[in-house]
Amino acid sequence: MDSEQILHAKDESLAHLKRVYGDEAETVIADARYGFISGLLKDVLKKPAIDRLTLSDRIDKVVLNRWLGIPIFLAILYGLFQLTFTLSIPFMDWIDKGFGWLAEPASGISPAWLGSLISDGFIGGVGSVLVFVPVIFLLYIGLSILEDSGYLARAAFVMDRLMHRIGLHGRSFIPLMLGFGCNVPAIMATRTIENPKDRLTTILVTPLMSCGARLPIYALFAAAFFTAYQGLVVFSMYAIGITLAIIMAWIFRSRLVKGEGGHFVMELPPYRLPTIVGVLTHMWERGRVFLVRAGTIIFSVVVFIWLLEYLGALEPIGRAIAPVFTPAGFGQWQAAVTLIFGILAKEVVVGTFGILFAVEEGALGETIATQLGWTPLIAYAFMAMSLIYVPCMAAIAIIKRETNSWKWPGFVIGYTLVLGWLVATLIYQIGRLFV
Amino acid sequence: MARKEITIALAGNPNSGKTTVFNNLTGARQHVGNWPGVTVEKKEGSLSYEGYHIKVVDLPGVYSLTAYSLDEVIARDFVVDENPDVVVDIVDASNLERNLYLAVQLLEMGAKLVVALNMMDVAESRRYQINVKELSRLLGAPVVPLVATRNQGTQELLQTVVGVVKDNIEVTGMRLQYGREVEEEIAKLEKVISNNSLSKKYSSRWLAVKLLEEDKEIIKKFEEAQVG
Repeated sequence: MDSEQILHAKDESLAHLKRVYGDEAETVIADARYGFISGLLKDVLKKPAIDRLTLSDRIDKVVLNRWLGIPIFLAILYGLFQLTFTLSIPFMDWIDKGFGWLAEPASGISPAWLGSLISDGFIGGVGSVLVFVPVIFLLYIGLSILEDSGYLARAAFVMDRLMHRIGLHGRSFIPLMLGFGCNVPAIMATRTIENPKDRLTTILVTPLMSCGARLPIYALFAAAFFTAYQGLVVFSMYAIGITLAIIMAWIFRSRLVKGEGGHFVMELPPYRLPTIVGVLTHMWERGRVFLVRAGTIIFSVVVFIWLLEYLGALEPIGRAIAPVFTPAGFGQWQAAVTLIFGILAKEVVVGTFGILFAVEEGALGETIATQLGWTPLIAYAFMAMSLIYVPCMAAIAIIKRETNSWKWPGFVIGYTLVLGWLVATLIYQIGRLFV
Repeated sequence: MARKEITIALAGNPNSGKTTVFNNLTGARQHVGNWPGVTVEKKEGSLSYEGYHIKVVDLPGVYSLTAYSLDEVIARDFVVDENPDVVVDIVDASNLERNLYLAVQLLEMGAKLVVALNMMDVAESRRYQINVKELSRLLGAPVVPLVATRNQGTQELLQTVVGVVKDNIEVTGMRLQYGREVEEEIAKLEKVISNNSLSKKYSSRWLAVKLLEEDKEIIKKFEEAQVG
């Protein structure tokens, strides 16, 4: 046969294999060889159980254990949240007192609208968000320690088995974990995933990972409604996020973006003692964004919302939407308003509550409870809704940029809205049967 | 018995003890030249064993047989073009996983392979238990344990090599399955390749795999075959 025809047939085969595997045929063939060898060695080679273990190996034996791996990972996360909350309480009290001290003279400023803008808008709105800066920074310190020590790579390795079962690779888990900080860099980090289908799936579910901006919402309601179980309640939000991300990834991977996944060896870097400078640098890199947002987007959005409130336009907007949320328990117009503006940035949910109720930050949670008649169950359903529904504008914009089309950000907005409503409604309706 | 000439090629990863095995086999009867056209050193030696005159060619130490490096191309071309009677792959028994990659590739080429399992002492000191019989069965090639640094196993290796030449020992090889989709494409390509002049020299399955690996050298050979 003519060589030209052969080379043409080769190109066709390669294109076909690339479509099927999402990977170069060369890689698939090399993997087949390694697969053959590792299968063969299972029968042929026995290594002693104790093979001169390094400290790293010894830690890994426990941390990567088939049965203990995931519980340990969850326990570490839980411990992280408990610690974050316990340590941040005194700092939050100081900031709260500081704003309270500022609010009193501010409300006396004339003309009255300026006094209202400063005390209700700035202090009530931006202040209620800034109160949570200590929680966020402490959480970021914890995340940085996990990352710098090498544990995050282990968490990905542990999740690898589970991820494989849902058709994703453990490598997808690192961007997801980064999503705890902020979804935007997490979505950008998916570039390390070589398989385009794995990457798209990861991008689609990353918004379900609870980011730092959602933390103030949990912190606000956990403190007001779940005093004794704050850490546990907030941890459960993160757990819901991870669980949903995994379920949705499985659904997307098996229905929407079918095809073979990538095959990689999971790299496990040796453990390192994190340095203080390194941890603080990472904390600052992540936390800085939050402060900048508070000073820019949150600030301007809050002023805008204050203006609408001052003009009496918030209530009609809220009333138009609120009935949708009645099945989920939070059908009050105030809740609807906070959720609408929360799309701009999730912290705004708290800021908007601050404007609407114009009370001292420390009392905001209780005020919501009494004025809206919320129970812990409703607060919990609302927290779940806040976690799941539409990530912020910045995340939507980055999804558009990374997928290079409006199709996928549109899809994310749609599915997270429906999913958030469903989960919140389920929590409320099922919870009502027991409470 | 008439003196018979046979050629064996020594393949193996760098640091697998290939040079030591070469010295054990050939002793002082060595000469060093260059591979044709390139400045890569080519070592040859010879010995007599059981009435055979055995020429031993030391191939460059490589991990793989792709077309990415000159060493790999030289090693591969020698196995294909010179068609040695036996290819002895020196394998580091203490690092089987990486070393067997080359053995698998040699078997894919259809080489008459004998695996020399070197550094058995290192493997033993690490208390690795290697089931030599099972390894041989799964690879479809004879496996001979060696400790080249103590010149242990050299006689057994020579016996096995001669056994293969005499057809007393069979090298069946193994047929690696690359996965359903890849196998379908290999079958398609094999069909179009089978009439090409290159398939007289190389197995069409191997050519098909190499094409799918986008092997520069093989693609070049096809392009040249077209001109010629």
